[in-house]
Amino acid sequence: MLQKVLSIASVGLKGIEIEVEVNVADKGFPGFGIVGLASKAVEEAKERVKTAIINSDIEFPNAKVTINLAPADLPKDGSCYDLPISVGILASIGELILPKERAYFYGELSLDGSLRHTRGVFLLALLAKEEGIKKIFVPRMSANEASVVEGIEVFPIDNLKNLIRHLSGEKLIKPLKKVDTEDILEDISPEFDFAEILGQEQAKRALEIAAAGGHNVFMMGPPGSGKTMLSRAMPGILPNLTEKESLEVTKIYSITGNIPPGGSLIRQRPFRSPHHTTSQVGLIGGGSNPRPGEVSLAHRGVLFLDEFPEFGRNSLEALRQPLEDGLVSICRAAGSVTFPAQFMLIAAANPCPCGYLGDPKKDCKCSTFQVLNYRKKLSGPIMDRIDLHLTVPAVDVNHLMIGKNEVNNNEKSETIRNRVLASRKIQNERFKNLTHVHSNSDMKNSHLREFSNLTGEANLLLKQAVNKFNLSARVYFRLIKVARTIADLENSNEIKETHIAEALQYRVKSEEREFHPFDKLRGTLP
Amino acid sequence: MEYKNKRKNYKKGREGEEIAREFLIKKGFKLIESNYTNKVGEIDLIMTDKDVLVFIEVKLKVGDKFGTPEEMINKNKISRVRRVAEGFLVMESVGKNYEKYRIDAVCIVLDENKKVERINYYENIY
Repeated sequence: MLQKVLSIASVGLKGIEIEVEVNVADKGFPGFGIVGLASKAVEEAKERVKTAIINSDIEFPNAKVTINLAPADLPKDGSCYDLPISVGILASIGELILPKERAYFYGELSLDGSLRHTRGVFLLALLAKEEGIKKIFVPRMSANEASVVEGIEVFPIDNLKNLIRHLSGEKLIKPLKKVDTEDILEDISPEFDFAEILGQEQAKRALEIAAAGGHNVFMMGPPGSGKTMLSRAMPGILPNLTEKESLEVTKIYSITGNIPPGGSLIRQRPFRSPHHTTSQVGLIGGGSNPRPGEVSLAHRGVLFLDEFPEFGRNSLEALRQPLEDGLVSICRAAGSVTFPAQFMLIAAANPCPCGYLGDPKKDCKCSTFQVLNYRKKLSGPIMDRIDLHLTVPAVDVNHLMIGKNEVNNNEKSETIRNRVLASRKIQNERFKNLTHVHSNSDMKNSHLREFSNLTGEANLLLKQAVNKFNLSARVYFRLIKVARTIADLENSNEIKETHIAEALQYRVKSEEREFHPFDKLRGTLP
Repeated sequence: MEYKNKRKNYKKGREGEEIAREFLIKKGFKLIESNYTNKVGEIDLIMTDKDVLVFIEVKLKVGDKFGTPEEMINKNKISRVRRVAEGFLVMESVGKNYEKYRIDAVCIVLDENKKVERINYYENIY
């Protein structure tokens, strides 16, 4: 008998309804076939479904079983069709009664008939809401992801036997309670507290501005000066994701299978630190069946690239589009998809391959050619897109340890975080009517006219600086955005001269620090 | 030891073919050839069903502890039968009298006392 069960397939970040048609024929040589552009993982569902049904004490039909995944021209991947296929087979042989209303079934089966954590349940819930579907049946381990979506009943399934009992009305499974986004809290436990980092006050201030406005940061300094430590402490001062942001991030994490079993919405800002051997596809996203890369996994969070110039040139230059537009469009033979990638870039680098160029105490051993080659990776277009350029010098040995009796006067991450939160609050209020703008760095140039609110003196200083230092138009707008954040941190509605001056200080430094091939010969190192 | 088992299996296969042959003759089939062999492989039975030339694969199992005979007939097995059948049609003149061909399967399960527990006949399995 023919039975139809609904499920979904994902294309990029979009869900598409799939009809799983199951036919158990009375005639014909017994066999099990799946059609409808199924990948290897779907093809292997045969063995899982068969064994799971047998291990649930149900006889597998000795008949010709044909499965069709419609629409047949859309490639399907993943293990999520195990449940709809087995439900269809069980319904066909009369072991199970399908619900009268349209419902989604989704999940990977284990050989013992229980259901395993499956990626993409959040997307399923969103599509169900869109399509007006009231009931979804998903593995218990993944059900929490769906529980934040309103207007649908989420049934967490432990195993096939329980599902059969539920559908026959013998023993009902309780649907999950709708969870409020605000109730989901995650502990933030960064590796380092800012109070543990001694010295580097300027860097800390810049990171605070970056966290408040979502600006990109570039840090240069000799090895061991604390670049990595500063970046690793960053999660401790970042605000939690807002509800809107959280939904965007969870969608990406659900599809890539980055939500742990039992996990729900992602509330903590992502902090991704890929190793510098990461390929271009790993960083940007891609593959024949396009998948999001690290830039998309860092959406609304931080992408930390340590040893920036060690990354492949291709990977670095590919960062240009996402840095500017906040999204990545990937085109492959299979089709084109767009992934969001609005991240805050923190890049760290040494001044030269040996690391000690310009260090007051240690000599640099690199040749001019080596330094030039190294700096070539830090191309103009990329550096142009970074707002805050920092020098992180080596810390003086006298400041390295705090004595037993001395008090650590450094600010705690929590204190800094409170200031960041306050400025984010101002920004949320400012952008509440705009859909895609969440922080100052997200502003488009058109928004600047409305929100910048520059005083006369500030405007004058900005113009002078642009002329004097030959800054590009992009830098001009980016400077205003950084100054806006600095003003927000001081709870000032206007952008004053001092705010512009501070923003300039982070930018102009890098222009002066530009390495010239003759510097080494002349002995006039930056 | 291995050799002995092989002889045993061979004998069992012959037994199965005999059971299948009797079963199909009762159904109205006519025997053309048993155990036709060429360099590709072997076809257990070649029979005719009215105007159709039928190539038959016979599978016999004693008890279904180790799976059903149906499971033992997979795509590979069927395509091998087809290749042998193609050879038969080219080499033997009998094939020229028929326009339609078919591959069927007979699956037999014996119980411990070597009695037939079930016998299933599947038409056109290709």
